[in-house]
Amino acid sequence: MKKLLITLSACLSFSVIPASVFAAEEGLTLPNDPMPKMSGDFLDISMQRGMQVYMNNCLGCHALSFQRYKRTGEDIGIPEDVMLENLVPADAKIGDLMTNNMKVASAANWFGAAPPDLSVVSRARGTKWLYNYLRGFYIDDSRPYGVNNSVFKDVGMPHALETLQGLQDKTEKVKGLENDIGYAQADIANAKKQLEEGGDKRKLNKIISDAEKIIHDAEAELTAISKAGEYFTIVKEGQLSPQEFDTAMVDLVNFLEYVGEPIKRERERLGVWVLLFIAFFGAVAYMLKKEYWKDIH
Amino acid sequence: MTKMAQLMQWIDDRFPATKVWNEHLAEYYAPKNFNFWYFFGSLALLVLVNQILTGIWLTMNYNPSGEQAYASVEFIMRDVDWGWLLRYMHSTGASAFFVVVYLHMFRGLIYGSFRKPRELVWLFGMIIFVLLMAEAFMGYLLPWGNMSYWGAQVIINLFSAVPYVGAELTEWIRGDYIISGATLNRFFALHVVALPMALLLMVFLHIVALHKVGSNNPDGIEIKKYKDENGIPLDGIPFHPYYTVKDIVGVAGFLFFFCLIIFFAPDMNGFFLEPPNFTPADPLKTPAHIAPVWYFTPFYSILRAVPDQQLGVVAMAVSLIILFFLPWLDRSKVKSIRYKHWSFRVWLALFVVCFVILGYLGMKGPTPMRTLAAQICTVYYFAFFFLMPWWSRWGATKPVPERVTH
Repeated sequence: MKKLLITLSACLSFSVIPASVFAAEEGLTLPNDPMPKMSGDFLDISMQRGMQVYMNNCLGCHALSFQRYKRTGEDIGIPEDVMLENLVPADAKIGDLMTNNMKVASAANWFGAAPPDLSVVSRARGTKWLYNYLRGFYIDDSRPYGVNNSVFKDVGMPHALETLQGLQDKTEKVKGLENDIGYAQADIANAKKQLEEGGDKRKLNKIISDAEKIIHDAEAELTAISKAGEYFTIVKEGQLSPQEFDTAMVDLVNFLEYVGEPIKRERERLGVWVLLFIAFFGAVAYMLKKEYWKDIH
Repeated sequence: MTKMAQLMQWIDDRFPATKVWNEHLAEYYAPKNFNFWYFFGSLALLVLVNQILTGIWLTMNYNPSGEQAYASVEFIMRDVDWGWLLRYMHSTGASAFFVVVYLHMFRGLIYGSFRKPRELVWLFGMIIFVLLMAEAFMGYLLPWGNMSYWGAQVIINLFSAVPYVGAELTEWIRGDYIISGATLNRFFALHVVALPMALLLMVFLHIVALHKVGSNNPDGIEIKKYKDENGIPLDGIPFHPYYTVKDIVGVAGFLFFFCLIIFFAPDMNGFFLEPPNFTPADPLKTPAHIAPVWYFTPFYSILRAVPDQQLGVVAMAVSLIILFFLPWLDRSKVKSIRYKHWSFRVWLALFVVCFVILGYLGMKGPTPMRTLAAQICTVYYFAFFFLMPWWSRWGATKPVPERVTH
């Protein structure tokens, strides 16, 4: 009986682990839209357009130093002459790596940090993050280049795609809600400090829980606004409409995803055959085993 | 005499080829009642061979210098023919190694395979496990990604907890004041030369010791007790061909899952290849959250569960060392879970739950609730082993059969 009690109490000790142990820890950043999925020819075309956007707007600062022009053309279906005419810089050869002439030291001076190589950025950040980051630049006069990013706060990068997208700002409604969150967070910090100094526990805990509720509600509303596509509003038009710009960013991220792992589509194609072979091999091996073992009792 | 037999005779006169073949395969008698759990020994051998072969080819293209290591890995992934496959086989193989070794050890735990007369088999196996951890840890630095760098930073700093000489010790390990190309070079040497040689030697001893005493089985009884007139155990069957053909089925099953990961999810959602490792090592940029790879996290959790850093390191070390003593901690009259008192199943089930929770928590950043959960699991982890001499004697055991059940 005593043993039973011991084991039972040990079992119970697990059931008291609250759900918060398993809760997620990332903070909320907006926009937080899913990256549209593509496949087949649509994906190829998207990656080709993405490469065009990249070569025209990104390569100057962000090299893809592990990737070669030739292979890129072969993998995403751009003929070599089209590559050479339109996408390979005049001083580069088709077999070259996709590097640039950016000097790391001076770049670090200009932007605070040297623009990173983006060869494997899609694997470090994920496509969803990239898609939202690229659409997250907005006006912020307190920043050196006049823009901030809602996904990567205080990033050193200027809005390189301004000619395409134009300039956007958070809507008044969004600004108001984010102010509310800021004040609520300040309230919480303040109340926690007073708690440490020995303030009225009941009163302060009430302030904290009220503020947490305000943050929770405001974040829910912001998420809904962002989902509806009303987080930002265009204040200066660019060459593309908001829908066209989103599509261009899907293309760009698809291209970066390809560069992150050029073999990806090929390995998945091969993988099907490998698994089929192993299944067949397994079946034969199983029959062989049965045959050998039939006289073992 | 055929030409082939003549050749074999010529060799046998000079080298015990047939003798070794017979002693270890054709006339090595294994119990006939091995079940699913007995696949993982041969699978561990398979993964070892996989790691060595893919490792050799990776070494041909990898460059162990602080300036070139990261780029050479991407070079292997893009410009080396089939380099991506070699790399994924090696990186997935590292995780697969721990999967099969953990299951192999669990098998030993449930059937009492470490009990007399197999104590040395267990001890050699434990040395293999510790060597494997060192091998995996040093290999993880080689891609020179930012998680490689900071993971190594955290683990090497554990040695600073050693009294008096801690700081000098970490400097000696790194070969520099910070982790640098010098550290990378020595880790490379240890990863591709020293540790694999030690591993192979220990695997050899593990198998020699096993074949001296013979394999245990799910009933936990000795098949050598009942032999026929030729001295062959009645419940034994020759390892070759019976278990070679059976293990090939296990190999096919293993390869299916192995290739499923290699071809469709080589980074396993960040569990096998962590996202921060796709940015180069940077001593000035700490990743937002540093976590070891999944196979270290149960022990890492134990380390963090203890509020004092030095004691935490001690707790982690003890959590590994205690495993060596398992053959002398289990005092049950029977070996196998099949005939032990039911309370063993409860103790064991809770141990598995704790181990998995510790592993999960080790991947996550600490919060007060998580730390508490890790502390509860840590206490149970130690209670399981330290109290084993007492609880393993609880209750009545079931009668053990004279012959294996098949």
